[in-house]
Amino acid sequence: METRRISGNEAVALGALRAGVKVAVGYPGTPSTGALTRMLAIQPEGVHVEWSTNEKVALEIATGAAWAGQRALCTMKMSGLNVAYDSLISIAYSGTVGGLVIYVADDPGVSAGMAEQDSRGFAALADMPMLEPATVTDAYEIMPFAFDLSEEIGGPVFVRLVTATANSLAPVQMLPRLDVPERESVLIRDIARFTKAGSAICMTQHRELIARLARAGQIIAERKINRLHLSEQTGGRPGLGIIAAGAVASYLAEGLEIAAGYGLAPAAAGAGPQAISTLEVVGVHPFPQEEAAALMRHCDTILVLEELEPHLEKSLYVTARQSGFAGRIIGKLDGTFSRIGEYNVSHVVRGIAVALGLEIPAAAFQGRREAEALAAQRPITVCAGCPHRGTYMAINQAIRKLRYKRDDVMVTGDIGCTILGMNPPFNTVWTEISMGASISLAQGYVHGGIETPVIATIGDSTFFHAGIPGLINAVQHQVPLTLIIMDNGWTSMTGMQVNPGTADERQGAGDRRLDIAQIVPALGVDHFFQVDPFDFADTAATIQRALTLPGVKVVLARQECVMPVLRRDERPGVVRVVAENCNLCKLCITVTGCPAISLAEGTIEIDPLLCYGCGLCVDVCNRDAIEFERRLG
Amino acid sequence: MTGGHGYTETQGTEGTEGMDVTLRLPSGRVCNTQYAVHNSQSAIRDPQFDIYLVGVGGQGVLTIGSLLAEAALRQGIPANYYESKGMAQRGGFVKAQLRLGREVVGPNIPERGAHLVISMELSESLKGVRFVKPGHDFLVFGHVWAPTAVMLGKAPYPTLGQVREQVEAAGARWRYVAADVLPTYQGLPVPANIFVLGATMALTGLPEVLSVDDVRETVREKWRRAAERNLYAFQMGYDAYAGG
Repeated sequence: METRRISGNEAVALGALRAGVKVAVGYPGTPSTGALTRMLAIQPEGVHVEWSTNEKVALEIATGAAWAGQRALCTMKMSGLNVAYDSLISIAYSGTVGGLVIYVADDPGVSAGMAEQDSRGFAALADMPMLEPATVTDAYEIMPFAFDLSEEIGGPVFVRLVTATANSLAPVQMLPRLDVPERESVLIRDIARFTKAGSAICMTQHRELIARLARAGQIIAERKINRLHLSEQTGGRPGLGIIAAGAVASYLAEGLEIAAGYGLAPAAAGAGPQAISTLEVVGVHPFPQEEAAALMRHCDTILVLEELEPHLEKSLYVTARQSGFAGRIIGKLDGTFSRIGEYNVSHVVRGIAVALGLEIPAAAFQGRREAEALAAQRPITVCAGCPHRGTYMAINQAIRKLRYKRDDVMVTGDIGCTILGMNPPFNTVWTEISMGASISLAQGYVHGGIETPVIATIGDSTFFHAGIPGLINAVQHQVPLTLIIMDNGWTSMTGMQVNPGTADERQGAGDRRLDIAQIVPALGVDHFFQVDPFDFADTAATIQRALTLPGVKVVLARQECVMPVLRRDERPGVVRVVAENCNLCKLCITVTGCPAISLAEGTIEIDPLLCYGCGLCVDVCNRDAIEFERRLG
Repeated sequence: MTGGHGYTETQGTEGTEGMDVTLRLPSGRVCNTQYAVHNSQSAIRDPQFDIYLVGVGGQGVLTIGSLLAEAALRQGIPANYYESKGMAQRGGFVKAQLRLGREVVGPNIPERGAHLVISMELSESLKGVRFVKPGHDFLVFGHVWAPTAVMLGKAPYPTLGQVREQVEAAGARWRYVAADVLPTYQGLPVPANIFVLGATMALTGLPEVLSVDDVRETVREKWRRAAERNLYAFQMGYDAYAGG
């Protein structure tokens, strides 16, 4: 079979297909998105693949399929796991019939912006096995085992990647599809397994859950999923043991080599050679009891290398106490390493140096960090042509026209591109918590006694995901607030996924659109308006009016995301600069912040390749120095 | 994964005989023939070579990284390629890390670890400085992509002299490609990133690992339709700095 360059995310998708997955669902979220994107691109025959409304919905779908006996995969980022967790813990207690694998991608080092959480904690809370492959190749090869393990123990299994593995591209040798026979679907009526009705049922499920995790630990040890390499002891002297978890194991070989180059070869430690043994942990939960005990019998010092929380390290202390290990443990709990950020090879080398009590040059892994302080600040903003630009401008204008100061009006924000209004030149949005939180947070500000208007902003996909319950709550309790739904028809931040509001003609085969303009009035809001954010004057006037009305007001600002429109080559217009009218007041730059506009000799200029033709700069200019050359529909 | 899991391979798997389908974990550092160097024309001295790329989204910096990763694969050199786009669409900071020559390798290059830094934007070069290995090449394309606050005169932007000073203070070899004169092809400027790629092959130690011919062939295959234009950009970049 051929070797292909694939990402860690693609490895999860292709590995699941290899294992005969029948249902693959998820919700987009960096860094996990690429798995289902690849699956959707393949359109595998006989496999149901979808972006679901949110992670909880996705997980419940995957579980239904698994309880009907099929193999199912559910994908999400770490924040999505928080959403799905209510169901997941209940599902873990019930167990599964067909293989159920939950792929979660964590983001140590925070490349995408969200809480830097360690999802291994959820594996501990739900007593679920969690596998963390070290490399892209491992991710591809571990997936069939993950499904096997799930079926052998009868419970769901986590596969966790971190951003660096999920988004790495590496050559992987493609393997033939495994011969997983087609299965008849089953219907199992078993309330003792599939309901929580009664304490006897729940406590029996708890007992079985604990037994399943223990069984998983045995299987992981039997199959040698964790690699233990005990070096030969020279002269009977105990050596150094290194435990490396998941992705960190990919730095081991290089680290040992560099350490040797620094004279950290164990021989340099003093009286004779000292050997280094390693335990590469793929089964990051449950704790690899047997392998760790073997390592402790062999070594007098254990170095634990794991990103984020001291998950393995804490269990190691327990095992050390139980087994009478009296040696040193080096990791986070002794202060050597931080719980923040991702690891690289320098952590391996530094850890070995600390363990052996040897010095490495202070500057070994410390580059010239002061250079970065001189770099120009580059706050991220919305694309040229982004319809959200018009909405932020209109919110700011409405606040100004009502003679409020900007610091007097709370505008809660939400997840996705819509949060970019927090940055200059808009500085519109104040908060970001989680999907849908903007609407309920705004109600809290009202009840908390804020007397100026309170505004909530949210995107379309986020509204469907978790915003609707918050709006229902506002209507029921009659909370005066203005909700602005910025509907661009796509789940854009993660790279253009279809959501329930995407146009019918862009939906998957057999799917249909749900129109927010029908949903919101049906929820009984007091006032509902729909605007085009490219029509600056109308959008600003409508928001201004909404802010003065009583009750729950919703403004739907609707205009399609620029990215898919550009791909279809359908830009809405062409603008041009009338240089002789320009007095270089720079309003077009300071108000719109559009990346297509820059300063030129005595005038401004507009990059024709970047410009989308939205015309917001035309509306802003009060000297007629920018005009439409051509405007569609 | 055959061992111990009760699976049998499906039909149509000829050519897989003897294939290692057991779980291969990092310490399984067995020499794998799939990566064996099969291109005898490239003079490979040190196959372990780490490249750190920085720039602004929309400049094609990630395309350079991807092309080099493909060229490595063509030469049978194992390559881990890791792009970090963050939340940046156009106009945000992007970086990429290409690690060549190790069968199993972690995606992140440590500080003072990169054998080559390629920067497509003057100010963003500063974010690559701590990663360059002293004594190695740091290539800067002098393009200035000014953020709005800089354009309005409300925020500072580093000078070319400041950037060079920092790069040299880090012990790196300064390699500069001016951005003001890009050659034209059929009346339009050639793609800057492919021009810079050509210049990189002339100005830096990269050809010790990846041959100029293999990189050129990778460019040719990447864009079948626009091959002429891109090959011209590559060659002009190479010729402008070869022998210099």
